[in-house]
Amino acid sequence: MTQPPIQGAPIVVHSLVRHFGSGDNLVAAVDGVDLVVEQGEIFGFLGPNGAGKSTIVRMLTTLLKPTTGHALVAGYDIVKQADLVRRSIGVALQDSAIDPLMTGTELLELQAVLYGIPRAKMHARASTLLERVGLTAAANRRVITYSGGMRRRLDLALSLIHEPTVLFLDEPTTGLDPMSRLALWEEVRRLNREGTTVFLTTQYLEEADQLADRVAIIDHGRIVRQGVPKELKAKVGAPTLVINVSAPQQDLAKSVLARFGEMRPTDEGSLAVGLIAGATGVAEVVRALDEAQIDLHHLELNEPSLDDVFAEATGHRLEGATPTAEQTVK
Amino acid sequence: MLTLRAMRGLQRVPATFLPTLAMPIFQAVAFAGTYFAITKIPNFPTDRSINWFISLSGCMGGAFSGLGLGFAAIRDIENGFMDRLRMAPTPRAALLLGPLLSALARTFIVLSTVLVVGYFFGARPTQGLAGIAMFYLAGFGLAIVATGWGLGIAYRFRDMRGAALMQLTLFLVMFTSSAQAPMSMMQGWLLQVARVNPMTNILRLSRQGFLNPPVGGVSWENTWGGLLAIAVLGSLTICFAYRGLRKLER
Amino acid sequence: MTTSVLSAPQQHKTRDGLRQTYALSKRSTLEIFRQPALIAPSLIFPLFFAALGASSFGRTVGKVDGLKDVSSFLEFSLASTIAQGVLFGSTTGGTALATDIQNGFMDRLLASPSTRVGILIGRLAGGSVFGALQSIFFIIALYPFGVRIQGGIIAVLIMVLSGALIAMSLGGFMTAMALKTGSPEAVQGAFPLIFISLFFSSAFFPRESMSGAYKTIADYNPLSYLVEGLRVLTLQGLTTQSMAQALLIPVAIGVGSFALSLRQLSNRLAQL
Repeated sequence: MTQPPIQGAPIVVHSLVRHFGSGDNLVAAVDGVDLVVEQGEIFGFLGPNGAGKSTIVRMLTTLLKPTTGHALVAGYDIVKQADLVRRSIGVALQDSAIDPLMTGTELLELQAVLYGIPRAKMHARASTLLERVGLTAAANRRVITYSGGMRRRLDLALSLIHEPTVLFLDEPTTGLDPMSRLALWEEVRRLNREGTTVFLTTQYLEEADQLADRVAIIDHGRIVRQGVPKELKAKVGAPTLVINVSAPQQDLAKSVLARFGEMRPTDEGSLAVGLIAGATGVAEVVRALDEAQIDLHHLELNEPSLDDVFAEATGHRLEGATPTAEQTVK
Repeated sequence: MLTLRAMRGLQRVPATFLPTLAMPIFQAVAFAGTYFAITKIPNFPTDRSINWFISLSGCMGGAFSGLGLGFAAIRDIENGFMDRLRMAPTPRAALLLGPLLSALARTFIVLSTVLVVGYFFGARPTQGLAGIAMFYLAGFGLAIVATGWGLGIAYRFRDMRGAALMQLTLFLVMFTSSAQAPMSMMQGWLLQVARVNPMTNILRLSRQGFLNPPVGGVSWENTWGGLLAIAVLGSLTICFAYRGLRKLER
Repeated sequence: MTTSVLSAPQQHKTRDGLRQTYALSKRSTLEIFRQPALIAPSLIFPLFFAALGASSFGRTVGKVDGLKDVSSFLEFSLASTIAQGVLFGSTTGGTALATDIQNGFMDRLLASPSTRVGILIGRLAGGSVFGALQSIFFIIALYPFGVRIQGGIIAVLIMVLSGALIAMSLGGFMTAMALKTGSPEAVQGAFPLIFISLFFSSAFFPRESMSGAYKTIADYNPLSYLVEGLRVLTLQGLTTQSMAQALLIPVAIGVGSFALSLRQLSNRLAQL
C-alpha cells in the first residue's frame, strides 16, 4: 500500500550539505555527510550542541531542504517524494513539540487524522498508544499539566500513531530526570525489538552507548567517526588498568606492569598501564603481581569511553559528557 | 544618578520609548482626521479639530511617559536589578524621585514633539505662550500622577500583569472624561461620569491655549480645577508608590 | 512491515485532506475558547468604544454630512464595532501560530503527510469562527440599546459571514507575519498597523464629513468600503452593492493575504 518494501537500507545519505546565510555569513551547518542506517538498527547520532545533528534530522524528516546532496528515507527521496517519506516515518523532535492547550487524547486523534488513519481505527489506536506509554490516566488532561517526562512519552506516542518503519528521535531525553530517561530508553528498545529502525540524536555519550547499535560522531557539520561503539572504543586503544600498591612496592610493581603494555600517566600513588590484551589480560597481570609478592590494594580496568573516541577524533571533549546520575542508577 | 540611569535607558532602548512618543502623535492626527466634522456642531469651541484633540494627546503623552517608568520598574524587579538598588544605601525617596524626574523629562520630549507635529497638521494656539505653558503644565501633572500610579502598581504586582492593569485603568479614566467631545455635546451616562472625572478638569487646564473663550482662554477659572486635581491625585499616587516601595521590603 | 493502519494515498487523498483540514480547524477553534483571557478584550473594548462614541458624538447625528439621515450614532457604530472587534481578534490566530512555531508544534504538522494549504486554513479557521461569533455578539449586545438591522435576517447573516471573512483575511496577514518571524511578540507588534489602517478609514465617522489628505487616504482604504457596506446593511437595508462590499472586499483581501502566507510558508521550509 503506502510503503513498498524498502530496497536496501531505510536511511541512505549521500554527500548531504546544508548552508545557512550567504556571502561572508555563510555557515555550512552540514558539510558533506554520508551515512547508511541498516534495517532494524538503532543508530545513534552523537555530537555537541550546534554540531549539525538537528539540521540533518530536519532534512531527513522533510522539514528542511538540503543545499546539495541527496538522501533516501524508507526508500523515498527526501525532496522529490517528501510526502511518501512523511507517511513512512515517525518524528519526535526536540523539546516535545506539543500544543499545551490540548489533551493527550485530542492530540493523538489529531495526529491520527493527519496521517490518514481511518476514523474506525483512530480511537482504538489512540488508547493503545496511551496505555503503552503509561498515560491512560492523564489522557483527558490538558498537556499543560503534564510533567516533562509525560510530555516526552506523549511525544513518542504521537510519533508512533501510524506505525512508522523508521523513527526519528531528536534528543529525546534532554532535560529529563534519570528515571524518566531510563523509562524512555526501555521503550525505545522495545520498539526496536518489534522491528522499528530508530535514528536517534543525542548529546549524551551514555545514551548513545546504551542504546545504539552503531553511532556516528558529528562535529562542525562533518561525521568524524562512524561504527559500532565497542569497535570505535577499541580502536582508540587498549583499556587502562589502574592499580594501587604500598609505596615501597611501587617500583617493583611498575616493572611487572611494564611487561603488559605501555605505562600511562595517572594519579600519584597509583600505577596505570595500557593493557594490550584487554580485559582478558587482567588475570595474567594479577598472577604476575602475585608471583612478585606484591600486595594489591586496589585494581580497576577502565574501558575507553565514547568521549575518548570523540576526543581522539576532534581534539576536544564533548560538553556535558561527564558521568551523570543515571550511570549510578544503572 | 537614578534619573540619569532612567534617561540613559531611554537613549539605549529607543524601542521602549517609541510607542510612548508615537502613540500620542498618531492619536492627535487620527482623531483630528476621523472626527474632522466635529467642529461643525454649533457652538463648538474651536474650528480646528486638531486644536480640540491635541490636548488629549498631550495628556496621553504625559500619562504614558509616567507609566513607562512603571513598566521599567517591573523589568527591574523581574531581572533583579531592583534588589541591587534597594540594597544600596540610597534614601528611599530617591528611588521615587529619580523615575519622577525622568518621567518629566520624557514628557517634555513627547509634548514638544506633539506640538510640532500638531502644528504641521494645522494646530494653532489661540492664547500665546501662556496657553502653551498650560499645555505643558497639564502634561507634567499627569506624568507625576501616572508615575506614582505606575510605580505603585509595579511594586505590588511585580510582573507584566501589572503593566496591563496600569494601562487599562489609566485608559478608562482618560476616555470617560471630556476626552473626545466637550461636555456641552455629551449625552447620557458619559456626561454623568465625565462631570465627576478629575481628568475633565486636567483636560480643561490643558485646552485653555487652544480653544476659543469662554470654553478656552487662559483664566483662573479654567486653571484651578486642573491644578487641584493634579495636586490631589499626584499626592495620592506618590503615596501609593511610596507605600508600595516599603511593601517590597517586607 | 506494519502498514495496516494507513489508508492508501491516491484514492483517499482528497478525503484525507478535508478530514485533516477539518481536524486542524476544530483544534484552532477549541483553542480560542480555551483562552478566555485572550478573547475577552476583543469583545469588551469595541463595546466600550461604541458606548463612548454614542455619548460623545450623539449630537453630531442629523447635523454632520453623512450622519444626516441616521437615527442613532450607536446604530451607525455597529459596523465599526464589528470591524474593530474582529480586527482585535485576528491577532489571536497569528500569535497562536507563532507560538506553534516556537514550541515546535508546527514542525510536527509539517512532518506529517497533511497538505500545506490544509495546515494554513486549519490555523485560520478558529479565528474565522470567532469572527462570526463576534458579529453575532455585537449585534445582540447592542440590540437592547435600540440598534436594529434594516436589512433583516439576511443582512444579519451577511454580517456574520462578513465577520468570518474579515477574520480570515486579516488573520492571513498575521499568519504571514508569524511565518516570517516565528515570534509571537512580532505578531502582536504588527497589530497597531492594522488598527491604524482602520483609523484611516471611514470606520468611525462618515467619509462625507472628512476633508483634505485624510479624506484621500480614506477614499483609497478598502476598509472604508467594507465598513460602509456593513453600515448600509444596518441603516438602510439590503442592496446588492452593500452585500458585495461586505463580502467581496474581505474575500479579495483574503486571497492576497493567503497567497502571502503560503509564500512565507514555503520560504520558511526552504530557507530556515
